Amino acid sequence: MRPFTFVRAIDADQAVAGYAREPEWAMYLGGGTNLVDLMRLGVAEPGLLIDVTRLPYDRVEEAPGGGLRIGAAVRNSDLAADPAVRRDYPVLAAALLAGASGQLRNQATVGGNLLQRTRCGYFQDVTKPCNKRRSGSGCPAVEGDHRNLAILGHSEHCVATHPSDMAVALTALGATVHVRGRAGERIVPMPGLHRLPGDEPDRDTVLDPGDLITAVELPPLELAARSRYRKVRERASFAFALVSVAAALDAEDGAVRDCRIALGGVAHVPWRAEAAEEELRGGPATDDAFRAAADAELAAARPLRDNGYKVPLARELIVRTLAELRDGTGADASGGTP
Amino acid sequence: MTTPRVGERTGRIGDSTARPDGTPKVTGAFAFSSDLYLTGMLWGVTVRAPHPRAEIHGVDVGPALAVRGVAAALTAEDVPGRAVYGLDVPDQPVLARDTVRYQGEPVALVAADHPETARRAAAEVAVDYTVLEPLTDPRRALDDGSPQLHPGGNLVRHVPIRRGDPQPTAEVVVTGEYTVGMQDQAFLGPESGLAVPAADGGVDLYIATQWLHVDRDQVAAALGLAPELVRLHLSGVGGAFGAREDLSMQIHACLLALRTGRPVKMVYSREESFFGHVHRHPAILRYEHGATREGRLVYVKAEILLDGGAYASTSQAVAGNAATHAAGPYEVPNAHVDVYALYTNNPPCGAMRGFGAVQACFGYESQMDRLAAACGLDPAEIRIRNAMREGSAAITGQVLDFPAPVAELVRRVRDRPLPPQRSTDLRAMPGGVGGTTHGEDVVRGVGYGVSIKNVCFSEGFDDFATARVRLEVTGGEPVATVFTAACEVGQGLVTVQEQVVRTELGVDRVMIAPADTSVGGAGSSSASRQTYMTTGAVRAACAKVRDRLAGRDPASLGDEVIDATVEWRHRPTSPLDPVTGQGFAHVQYAFAAHRAVVDVDLGLGLVKVVELATAQDVGKAVNPLAVAGQIHGGSAQGLGLALMEEIQVRDGEIVNPSFTDYLIPTVLDMPPMSLDVLELADPNAPYGVRGVGEPPTISSTPAIVAAVRAATGRNLNRVPVRPEHITAEGLSVEAGR
Repeated sequence: MRPFTFVRAIDADQAVAGYAREPEWAMYLGGGTNLVDLMRLGVAEPGLLIDVTRLPYDRVEEAPGGGLRIGAAVRNSDLAADPAVRRDYPVLAAALLAGASGQLRNQATVGGNLLQRTRCGYFQDVTKPCNKRRSGSGCPAVEGDHRNLAILGHSEHCVATHPSDMAVALTALGATVHVRGRAGERIVPMPGLHRLPGDEPDRDTVLDPGDLITAVELPPLELAARSRYRKVRERASFAFALVSVAAALDAEDGAVRDCRIALGGVAHVPWRAEAAEEELRGGPATDDAFRAAADAELAAARPLRDNGYKVPLARELIVRTLAELRDGTGADASGGTP
Repeated sequence: MTTPRVGERTGRIGDSTARPDGTPKVTGAFAFSSDLYLTGMLWGVTVRAPHPRAEIHGVDVGPALAVRGVAAALTAEDVPGRAVYGLDVPDQPVLARDTVRYQGEPVALVAADHPETARRAAAEVAVDYTVLEPLTDPRRALDDGSPQLHPGGNLVRHVPIRRGDPQPTAEVVVTGEYTVGMQDQAFLGPESGLAVPAADGGVDLYIATQWLHVDRDQVAAALGLAPELVRLHLSGVGGAFGAREDLSMQIHACLLALRTGRPVKMVYSREESFFGHVHRHPAILRYEHGATREGRLVYVKAEILLDGGAYASTSQAVAGNAATHAAGPYEVPNAHVDVYALYTNNPPCGAMRGFGAVQACFGYESQMDRLAAACGLDPAEIRIRNAMREGSAAITGQVLDFPAPVAELVRRVRDRPLPPQRSTDLRAMPGGVGGTTHGEDVVRGVGYGVSIKNVCFSEGFDDFATARVRLEVTGGEPVATVFTAACEVGQGLVTVQEQVVRTELGVDRVMIAPADTSVGGAGSSSASRQTYMTTGAVRAACAKVRDRLAGRDPASLGDEVIDATVEWRHRPTSPLDPVTGQGFAHVQYAFAAHRAVVDVDLGLGLVKVVELATAQDVGKAVNPLAVAGQIHGGSAQGLGLALMEEIQVRDGEIVNPSFTDYLIPTVLDMPPMSLDVLELADPNAPYGVRGVGEPPTISSTPAIVAAVRAATGRNLNRVPVRPEHITAEGLSVEAGR
């Protein structure tokens, strides 16, 4: 680990100004559950760590126009347990509880969760080339080990996936991200915060250096009260998604009035399944229609040599999740034991 | 079985006795070797080669020495004694000099006053490599065009077994090819230790290991010191499972300590640990079984390739085990087996719980299921029909002169009531709280696995254990103290020694001195042997003490101290005939049977193991609580190999060196287990004991895979089984791997 200076910011202005003084070396520190690991591995080498967990962003409150405003420093465990989240946005609580372990969720923050880096093995290993870590050095994963990597939206430069569960739910819900930068405050919609790799895979998001996430706002969304998160992983807990689905459905009299679907584990971004949503809206709420919608979304899939299995997994998961929402069956995992 | 009160340690042979290390480990208070600390100590760090195969043209430690705080930087030139080490074959350089044979091979060492300084300085060491094309496919290791990785070629050992008719025929023939991935021991306490230079020119090494004396001998040889100048002391061990049988940082820390004249501590990080110890041999197994229409075995033919990786480690013995266990716990009159352990540029492989028998068991048990199907028999029935029993001959010709209740073990698990059909608890579903299924597309399957495993060292190895027992009166009470070099690695050996002494001497207060090399060797805590061996040694030492006591009450000893030391051996074994593989190779076999019940989500390829029923003969349960723990833990490790655990190696490089990416089962993955513990005494063993640790690891894997096959109809010839091997559209992926 490289030596670094640690400072604890007491307000956002101080944090942003501190960053601006060392833009080449500064990083914000939230719960540290991802960044500190990366520092140990030599993947991240900040010279200045600005702890932002003491900023006054640790509350979940009703937003001015309805909906919820979630402070960026709210811990994942607290957010998952928030009564309003569990009542109005159960998909978010379930997604949070599907991620990591109890200890990690107690530590991890909302802002940090959004900015997690990929679990791609080549990114984690500083002795290997990686375009995300070192632009232009190459991507060994395209031909190498990519069983867990992207099937959608990848480029020849990067086939990594975004690891967050929470972000998949936020993407389905159409959350907005409040950002404080040197030029003041702005709002970034989800999807839209994360970006596809293209030829700049070193940039995970549209944020500029020094931008500080202060809050995430959930819009008032009636259909979100009926929403689910389903996650396929290779052991019963504490594993990243092979594929996950966040979905909300408003169906009446056998027809889909509205829906939201996002996929995790399949792309460089939490993947909003807009083609599937489009296919479903106004159509019948049947298994066949759900399957057709999944196929419409997955028509764009370009699986790699060893990850083609994710396509049927994603299709199956979409269909099951929508059917469950339509039928009102199944347990609500948002309150369950993680 | 009664559950002992925490802290209560009064048990004798056969009593459930709480371990002194149990509660501290659970509460986090236990001191592991990574917690060792001395004021003024230095921190050692290893410079490792990033390439699986390369030539080294030069190592420049100058830039590292220039870093402030660095006390020493060493290369192969600085090894004063023997430049290589190894358990059976000294073929592994202490530090690579000219050649790198695997990714992560140690090349240089740095010691500094702070671990971070040492790590930064290590990054400054300049190594001039020429990178070479690695040999990574064991099937090509013996090809003419393949590079020779060692002077003697790429064959570590070939073990043939020839028994009976060389060209047998049978009414029913089934064949199969099976693959076992590379499993890691995944102990939680990474490699670590503290070397302290001594005034006599020697060194004291505090270390987590499995075998103090063989560590000592290798360290002394490399340091060019007499063995008595190298003193090893067992420190807190955070799991072993075979991964501490080879050296890791032992020689390195001592080199740095002797060079600097200061204590040197080394602790591997989790990532480094994956490069710091050997793994389970990946295997390719080709089998042909012939049987009568009634399902009686006529012959077994097997060819097994074991990828030994870059250095020999215990590959020779693993190959011997894979060969002698190749037909499983079954009577078969004709056998034609060839096992090859091979050098490649993959990570070195060696000892891991099950030791060659794991790979073979996945092969022969898969075959037994195919045979059952071909003969129209129930899988349990075909196993019972062919089961070994006392008096049976193994394919080595060895006649089993101890109880071998294989059929009974199978009946016990078969006759257990099946668990109820699906519950509505999400945690009981495939995918668990991921919520992936609420019962859609879920099918149930049942499968069996039966294991055979040798206990103790084999093939003529001079296998002994030493124990010293001292009896004296302290504070008016008789106290017995036991001195051994036997390593408590989490298996419960401390209580076992106490129980023996209480039983033999009738003394309640028993102290177990810390294990070190001040007494004679105890052999390794491996091969399911340490309870067998050290129980034998401690009991024999107690008998000597009792002789000298000559019927007196121990409390009446006064100032007299009775002190007795015994070097104890099990009955000798003999080497295998090099041509026919025949011989009395194993002193004892142990057996376990599993019945696995699984629910499989066909659409997503997820498996929930619903129940594992186990029956195992342990000869004598010295500490029934510890026996249950061994069976639970061993079965979990086998579940891991069946469903998730694999070191992913691509082009000789490890892709997933972390516990985030190398998955081991969590408590949510483990099902309830029902245990049936048989105690049929082995008349050759102390108290009749039979090794316990390995058999459950071996048979749970094939039982689970058989259950998944039964549920899905898939062939599943490879472990671990992945979701894509189960889902329909993933089949081509399986074929390609």
